[in-house]
Amino acid sequence: MPDITSVVDTLDERKPYIELKQAKKSSELACDNTSIAGSMSQRACVYSGARVALNPVTDAVHLVHGPIGCASYTWDIRGSLSSDKETFRTSFSTDMKELDVVFGGEKKLSKSIDEIVELYNPPVIFVYSTCIVGIIGDDLEAVCKDASERVGIPVIPVKSEGFKGTKSDGYKAACNALMQIIGTKEPEITSEYRINIFGDYNVAGDVWLVKPLFEKMGIQVITSMTGDATVDTISKSHGAQLNLVQCSGSMTYLAKWMMKKYGIPFTKVSYFGIEDLAIALRTTAEFFGSEEMMRIAEEIIEKETARIMPEIQAIRNRVQGKTAAIYMGGAAKALTLIKGFRELGMEVVIIGTQTGKRDDYKQISYQVKDGTVIVDDANPLELADLLVNQKADLMVAGVKERFLAYKLGVSFCDFNHDRVIEFEGYDGFLNFAREIDTSINSPVWGYVRSKLGAGTTQTKGTSESAEQNTADSKKVVGERSNMHDININTLQGSVI
Amino acid sequence: MSERNYTTVNPCIMCQPIGSVMAFKGIEDSMVLLHGSQGCSTYMRLHLAHHFREPVDIASSSLSEKGAVYGGSENLKKALKNIISRYDPKVIGVSTTCLAETIGDDISRIISEFREEENIGDERIIIPVPTPSYEESHNSGYIKAVEAIVKTFTLEDSKKEIFNNKLNVVLSENISPEDTREMKHLFTSIVGHNSFILLPDISETFDAPMTGDLHKIPLGGTTHSDIADMKNSAATIGLGITNDNRAVNYLEQTFDIPSQNLPLPIGLEYTDKVLNALAEISGMEIPDEFQKERGRLIDAMVDAHKYVYGTKVAIYGDPNNVLGMLSLALENGMHPILVVASSKSPRFAEHAMERVNQVKPDCDVTILEDVDFDTFNDAVKKAKPQMLIGNSNGKYIAKDMNIPLIRFGFPIHDRVGAQRTLILGYKGAMRMLDRITNTILDVQDAEMAAKWSEPESYVPLGESSFHSAEA
Repeated sequence: MPDITSVVDTLDERKPYIELKQAKKSSELACDNTSIAGSMSQRACVYSGARVALNPVTDAVHLVHGPIGCASYTWDIRGSLSSDKETFRTSFSTDMKELDVVFGGEKKLSKSIDEIVELYNPPVIFVYSTCIVGIIGDDLEAVCKDASERVGIPVIPVKSEGFKGTKSDGYKAACNALMQIIGTKEPEITSEYRINIFGDYNVAGDVWLVKPLFEKMGIQVITSMTGDATVDTISKSHGAQLNLVQCSGSMTYLAKWMMKKYGIPFTKVSYFGIEDLAIALRTTAEFFGSEEMMRIAEEIIEKETARIMPEIQAIRNRVQGKTAAIYMGGAAKALTLIKGFRELGMEVVIIGTQTGKRDDYKQISYQVKDGTVIVDDANPLELADLLVNQKADLMVAGVKERFLAYKLGVSFCDFNHDRVIEFEGYDGFLNFAREIDTSINSPVWGYVRSKLGAGTTQTKGTSESAEQNTADSKKVVGERSNMHDININTLQGSVI
Repeated sequence: MSERNYTTVNPCIMCQPIGSVMAFKGIEDSMVLLHGSQGCSTYMRLHLAHHFREPVDIASSSLSEKGAVYGGSENLKKALKNIISRYDPKVIGVSTTCLAETIGDDISRIISEFREEENIGDERIIIPVPTPSYEESHNSGYIKAVEAIVKTFTLEDSKKEIFNNKLNVVLSENISPEDTREMKHLFTSIVGHNSFILLPDISETFDAPMTGDLHKIPLGGTTHSDIADMKNSAATIGLGITNDNRAVNYLEQTFDIPSQNLPLPIGLEYTDKVLNALAEISGMEIPDEFQKERGRLIDAMVDAHKYVYGTKVAIYGDPNNVLGMLSLALENGMHPILVVASSKSPRFAEHAMERVNQVKPDCDVTILEDVDFDTFNDAVKKAKPQMLIGNSNGKYIAKDMNIPLIRFGFPIHDRVGAQRTLILGYKGAMRMLDRITNTILDVQDAEMAAKWSEPESYVPLGESSFHSAEA
């Protein structure tokens, strides 16, 4: 029976967070805890969770109350696009200095809010608290409440002190802030059927490939939170009859609240991949129970699938049988990616998330085949070990993992804030497939282990060569077996 | 835009800990640990990975609420232990964040307790650097870390051992890995191989060759024996003159090592200055190679002079980099109307003014420091430059003004090659000048193309708007 130690070398404390999927063996993966000190977590903090979830509200001022660093690193952190205002791209900070830390930053914050209102006249100001604010005890709520009355716009505290939990707690803080706006304006109803899109951040314009599908079905999309959302549409979002939640980690909390407060049910969907897209459209049509809508949904699914299928098929022929590693911030994206890869004929061999919960990992476990490694809150050394031992050909993750994969000769796809092409909707999936193809089949991987003086390199690095293990303990891993193969014939051929 | 007094809009600086990280990444076999909450380490990793396009490992003590209330000692010790067990580094830099500073953790004490409790031998060096984020900027964090590194390695026995006849070269500002390689080549060629100690050295650690192997800690960096040997050197050169190079001062005061601070060798004259100083200190002649390179640079300057003359530029970024770029622009006849240092430094404005007066006294230059991008934006709108030279964050202003941005400095997160960008030395000046000139030619091409479609508005090249600046 293979055991996790055979595929990864890690701290004893970390072992409960990693498991090997095995049939007939159900164990529970440890998760949803704070990261272990010094374990080099890939996660961020509460503030980061709040910031990424709220930031795409395009016409809001996002004011960071704290020293400059927090604002400096999160300036325009999301590749979210806006169809109108770009206020969210501007980084506002109270830039607390030593004296503010000693004497308290409330006054500065209050004056900063006045200044912003005068200069920018935003519809709302979100005030994020950082570590320092939690320590020195600035009363953010009181300052914001006073300011709201004074300036006449909502000034909403986002309680996101970095150390007070994990990134997930930040999502909650963001949702709590959104609750202050929802229901403050009367919705304008233009259709019998109305939904909100939750948990889509319009990275690279994703929402713009999804929203029209629903509109074609005769549905009014009141808001998409928070990608390309405005304060106005958020305030009217209680006019919907259904909430579609994509990034469940960040938005389920808000969806549950809306169900309780406004009686609006929610359902979890994904707009990534042919199968999940079809499910999203069908579920929505079924919810409204309109025959006409169901007919249109089926028509869209059929037409669109037929439109992209020839190219998907061609790409599938080129990437089939390759193996993928998934390391995502949230579990919803990780889950939908498993299906996406299957549609391309690829198998997942490693899957991990930063913020997955117990139920998420159970779901993941159902979806993957035996021998797949499931990991929570992985760190670079574990990921490197896993990529090599699980023989992954491609990794899907964010920037911090990109160069790790590259250094190991593993191709990479960014499915995070940084991407500049859409991955959702039908054309989005086509984009995804093209990117996978581009990366996996680039001749560059054939050169990775090549050396000068050893003859010409072989650019097709697929054949197996003997495993070599270097004794160097500082090296993360031994040689990847299939990346380096010098063909003796080519070598001789090159010597004239 | 009216006056702002309380809000920073689009910061130009980062916090002290990231500067400290950059310094430690230039030391052989070292890891950095940030004492604070998890986010700080993740954000800095992300920022550095974007810029250098390398894996960047920065540990965190992952302080939680409990740590914040009862002190972070337990977390810090655990983090140190885990790093040692997983990475086995010889050097661990421990930098504080604003959280650790505010709860008042005494990291030096915690580290000595840890050493005792875990029986850590002398071969493992742990260097504390207090870097509260509510003070100064990433630049000062860099300088403080470099000083702490030198102090720690030379503390053991504060007397000189054996005179090594070497030259210390201490950077006071982050330069690119390619620039670092160029500096090493330059020093090797003039003072000789193994005759200088460059600190910190990120030439390999932040730009590792692709081999298919991944090292837990990237190879390269200034060696430990070299850093320890700095106290036995004959002389020290500090590169960067706008700030106090604290490590240089320390070496001079403690070990009587004569020192001088020189500008970063950007452009013709500052490179001359550094090379001449090197020749003088070492008593060596400058190799012919550099005379030729210098000649080629002048040749390039001749090639470019008609295109670049009078072009109004705004330069912004870290102070020593900006000072150097100002110098390069001036000696090429450009018109730097706006010169902005992101952080406050004691002698930036003075040196910038001096350089303007030397080369182009009639140039109506505006010098700003310690401003955010919003203030910079206002200044740009007023000054109406034809080109921006600085880091990626200026892209919004460049786009808004419809003028080109030539990227240099830190951070560059939206283009490839930041780690390979050569600015320093004659070669760097040549490359930079070519980039500037070709950018101007691109703009002219675009203007010409627009005119071609409207023959009646044809204006001869020499009178195109890009050259309307003062003659």
